Amino acid sequence: MRWGMLASAAALVLGAGAAQAQPVLHAVGIENEYADVMSQIGGPYVRVSAIVTDPNTDPHEFEISPQVAGELASADVVVENGLGYDGWADKLLSGTHATVISAQRVRNLPNSTPNPHLWYDPATMPAVAKAVADAFATKDPAHAAYYQGQVTVFDASLKPWLDELAQVKAHYAGTPVAVSEPVADYLLQAAGMKILTPFTLEEAAMNGTDPAPQDVSTQQDLLVSRKVAVYVFNQQVQDTLSDSFRALAQQSNLRVLGVYETMPKRAKSYQNWMLGETKTLAEDLAAGGQ
Amino acid sequence: MMLLQPGFLASVPVQNALLIGAGAALLSGAAGVFTVLRSQSFAGHALADVSSAGGAMAYLLGISPLLGFFSLSVLGALALEVIGTRRAAERDLAAGIVLGAGMGGTALLLYLDVTVKGSAGAAVSVMFGSLFAAPPGLGVAVALGALAGLLGLGLIYRPLLLASLDSELAKADGVNTRLLGTAYLLLLALAVTLSAMAVGAILSTALLIGPAAAALRLAHSPAAAMGLAALLGLFCAWGGVWLAYQSYGWTPGHVWPVSFFITALVLAVYAVASLVRRG
Repeated sequence: MRWGMLASAAALVLGAGAAQAQPVLHAVGIENEYADVMSQIGGPYVRVSAIVTDPNTDPHEFEISPQVAGELASADVVVENGLGYDGWADKLLSGTHATVISAQRVRNLPNSTPNPHLWYDPATMPAVAKAVADAFATKDPAHAAYYQGQVTVFDASLKPWLDELAQVKAHYAGTPVAVSEPVADYLLQAAGMKILTPFTLEEAAMNGTDPAPQDVSTQQDLLVSRKVAVYVFNQQVQDTLSDSFRALAQQSNLRVLGVYETMPKRAKSYQNWMLGETKTLAEDLAAGGQ
Repeated sequence: MMLLQPGFLASVPVQNALLIGAGAALLSGAAGVFTVLRSQSFAGHALADVSSAGGAMAYLLGISPLLGFFSLSVLGALALEVIGTRRAAERDLAAGIVLGAGMGGTALLLYLDVTVKGSAGAAVSVMFGSLFAAPPGLGVAVALGALAGLLGLGLIYRPLLLASLDSELAKADGVNTRLLGTAYLLLLALAVTLSAMAVGAILSTALLIGPAAAALRLAHSPAAAMGLAALLGLFCAWGGVWLAYQSYGWTPGHVWPVSFFITALVLAVYAVASLVRRG
């Protein structure tokens, strides 16, 4: 009885404490994986929204609406991917007061970088998190220490994922894999996988251009002759060619790994999502080796 | 340079492309002779444009593109019949309006493809074709469709020829020209559907009327023109596939669109035929 009362009193105090922390900043992540990291850094002091969130559609093909323009106009800090992946956002952001952080610029990558899916690279989010904390601290100096502290928390929370990547690399480095398009290439490379799919074929799939029959033959041979251990495809893109590769991989009893381009709703956090996909890869590799 | 690179004929996407190209070219060439004789080029183009809505729909529903294109193409043919043929002068008008409605539907469906299904390349694929990305079973389906179409064309060949050359004489001879016209439009719908599989909806008229117009300039009888048009179409389709395969080395790692080569060959064949006729 007494303990119960104490507990509810504590809940009251905590509740009041949380209610006092009104968001001071409005931040927007163009893609929801960036928004997720921003809200981990901003905590209760930043209201974060995401523009591209639908795991069923391809972010490359995003259509701009007046609501999106309004959302960006009121933002204090915006994180975009860059590399032309979300180039439409630049047009909407020119003339707003927002501090714009581009993952491409944070990573110092040239415009000619062929694979734009930077968030799959373990080096990207720590750099983005730091830039986000700096931007938050400039716009809201009162909570600067909190933001910087959250970067340390975020970096530490990446450890299980990085450990898993290192473990996969230790066990399976050099394992050949085939992919439908470049979405998860950075992660696969970080795990030591050897991607045998011609990059021109990945590019054609990503950009929706005609694939070269030479490349299609190469890919079909990889799958039919079982020259790869795993076939990795993008769950958010549907086209006849990618479907036919997946069918071939399944006929050859290869492990098929579906990955997401934007953060799926069931993922608890960015770290959690990446860890999950890396664990599935490890399971597929373990099963494929038998 | 070797004429046939090693691996050309062994490549599964090339085999598929050759089969689709052959089916499309043979039926479109033969049926195209009547399209030219009956001055229905614009109707053919309208059907092709309307069929693009079906192509876009196929992505959305996840059904075979052949089925999608053909169902809308048939719908377009029936619409043309219902609205337009009572007065010949209104035929182009009806075709234009049906075309516009069809393309409007395509715009909506392509938008949905991209936003709902994430099919990034749907628009280019439906409009301009992507022969090397065709699903593996499509080649056989197109070949069978072409066979059925050629059989149907053979069945109505005599009365259709009579009605196309002299409609009044055909009526006096007891031919139901209205029914015949509808049957022919349905065959035309099949022909443009198969051609759309090869070169996309917008370009499919090229395979329909180009080889036929060239053949009519060279051949002395309609039957000979049909055979020649089919062969010329086959030359353009296969030549286009071969050239596209060759283009792999021109811009490293990429092939130029097959549709570009096929339509360029159609233009060349037509130009040569015109010169031969004049000379």
